[in-house]
Amino acid sequence: MSVKLRNDCQCLTLGIMNERLKLSELNGLVKKTVGEAFTAPIWVIAEISELKTNRSGHCYLNLIEKEENGDAIVAQARATIWSYTFRMLQPYFESTTGQQLTEGLKVLLSVSVEFHELYGFSLNIRDIDPTYTLGDMARRRREIIARLQADGVAEMNKELELPLVPQKIAIISSPTAAGYQDFIDQLIKNPAGYKFHLKLFSAIMQGNQAESSIISALEQIYLYEDFFDAVVIIRGGGSQADLGCFDNYNLAYYITQFPLPVITGIGHEKDDSIVDMVAHTRLKTPTAVAEFLISGVAQFELHLNDLRNRFTDVIEEWIAEAKRNIEQFTRVIAPLTREKLLKGYSLLNQTVWKFDKTVKKFIKNHDYQLDRKEEIIRHDFKDFTQLQLRILEKKTRFLSVILRRMTIANHDQLTRKMQKSEGLIRKIISDNRHQLELAYQKAMLIDPNQILQRGYSITTYNGKALKNADTLIPNAIIETRFYNGQIISEVKEIKTEN
Amino acid sequence: MSKKNGSYKEAITEIEEILGQLENNELDVDELSEKVKRVSQLVSLCKEKLHNTEQEVDKILKEMDNN
Repeated sequence: MSVKLRNDCQCLTLGIMNERLKLSELNGLVKKTVGEAFTAPIWVIAEISELKTNRSGHCYLNLIEKEENGDAIVAQARATIWSYTFRMLQPYFESTTGQQLTEGLKVLLSVSVEFHELYGFSLNIRDIDPTYTLGDMARRRREIIARLQADGVAEMNKELELPLVPQKIAIISSPTAAGYQDFIDQLIKNPAGYKFHLKLFSAIMQGNQAESSIISALEQIYLYEDFFDAVVIIRGGGSQADLGCFDNYNLAYYITQFPLPVITGIGHEKDDSIVDMVAHTRLKTPTAVAEFLISGVAQFELHLNDLRNRFTDVIEEWIAEAKRNIEQFTRVIAPLTREKLLKGYSLLNQTVWKFDKTVKKFIKNHDYQLDRKEEIIRHDFKDFTQLQLRILEKKTRFLSVILRRMTIANHDQLTRKMQKSEGLIRKIISDNRHQLELAYQKAMLIDPNQILQRGYSITTYNGKALKNADTLIPNAIIETRFYNGQIISEVKEIKTEN
Repeated sequence: MSKKNGSYKEAITEIEEILGQLENNELDVDELSEKVKRVSQLVSLCKEKLHNTEQEVDKILKEMDNN
């Protein structure tokens, strides 16, 4: 082929030398030459830098090649996949790689080299070898992982402590994703009735914009770092093929440095993405994340209930033991007390008996002495009494003689005195009677009634006997009393004689 | 992290502590009733937080919407 190409070139060089060509003629020549040079499709390695499909289903791409160790573009070509081919190639590629056929991918393409007079150079893609992309992705993944490990950050988010009860959750998701609403419903309507505080930070979850969009959502959450318990990154219901954005160094690095534990539910069944690998907890689906959160809270409540039950048990046991102790104590103390009492009682009895005996002995002892003393005393007393009795009798006899004599003498004297007194009393009585009669007559003379009967009257003024005329005043009311009545009069005139 | 879930963690720690004292017979009967009260208070506090909306939290979430 190379020999033929050289010959063609020689022909062209000759032609250009000899005549002037129209552009179309030139382009036609190029087309012819290219056509002759690349008669069969060629496998070529390139990176997709642009990819779009039009309405008729044709796919238009821009392919590039970058420098080995840098970003400088060293080659570039346009490419097309006709719709018929694209309809077959796209699902084949995506199902094999788990990766959407999109910009940024390195691909191995079977291309036919074409040149068109009007549109110029382009490659028509006939086939794709997905295993190359798979290998390249794996290599890139390995490189990113190695880089994160070299940075010493790969495990940093995992080292954060997930709060005991994750209730305040920041969610990074596309608000329109079916998985998002299911996730919310699952948490809000959890059967145990746990309260979750959820806040959506919406982001684009696929394609090339996902990296910056998710990082910007994380930046917003970072402002409320103290508030949230955890970040959840979920993606549900979308294609399995557009997860390449989660194998991203910048996003992964950001997550490792994030101060809150990140839980992923990105929803793919194949290998974990790098975001999954660096996340605190990696789960397959949003549903699994919701279950994880609910079970975390449930576990706490279980622990709480367990502690409470243990506590109740211990308390009950404690009370039961205290009760048993008291009962045992009661059982022991009653007979013990009885025994003590009996002992005391018997000791008392013994003492009383002893005392009684001693006292009796003492008394008996003294009784004897007493009896003897009594006898002596009685004997002495008898002698004494008899003596006294005799003296008394003598004195009595003597006294009675004297008394009789005195009585007789007094009787005579008394009789004489009585006779004398009788005469005297009689005289006094008759004297008194005479005087009494005189006094009566005199008294009769001065009785006011007697006087009034004789024609005199008594005049009173203000209840007092009126003796002087000058004590009256004209118009004074005076009362005049007669022996058989009285008159009341008013003074008209007062005439005094002195 | 401890500041966020502080009350849960502290409550559990305190209950465990009291339980430990109780199981090791370190409490006398005078302290008992007080501790029973405390544990029941802590348990209901946690239950309340697990199942009910905290006004303070709702307030912060609303503030986020306004920013």
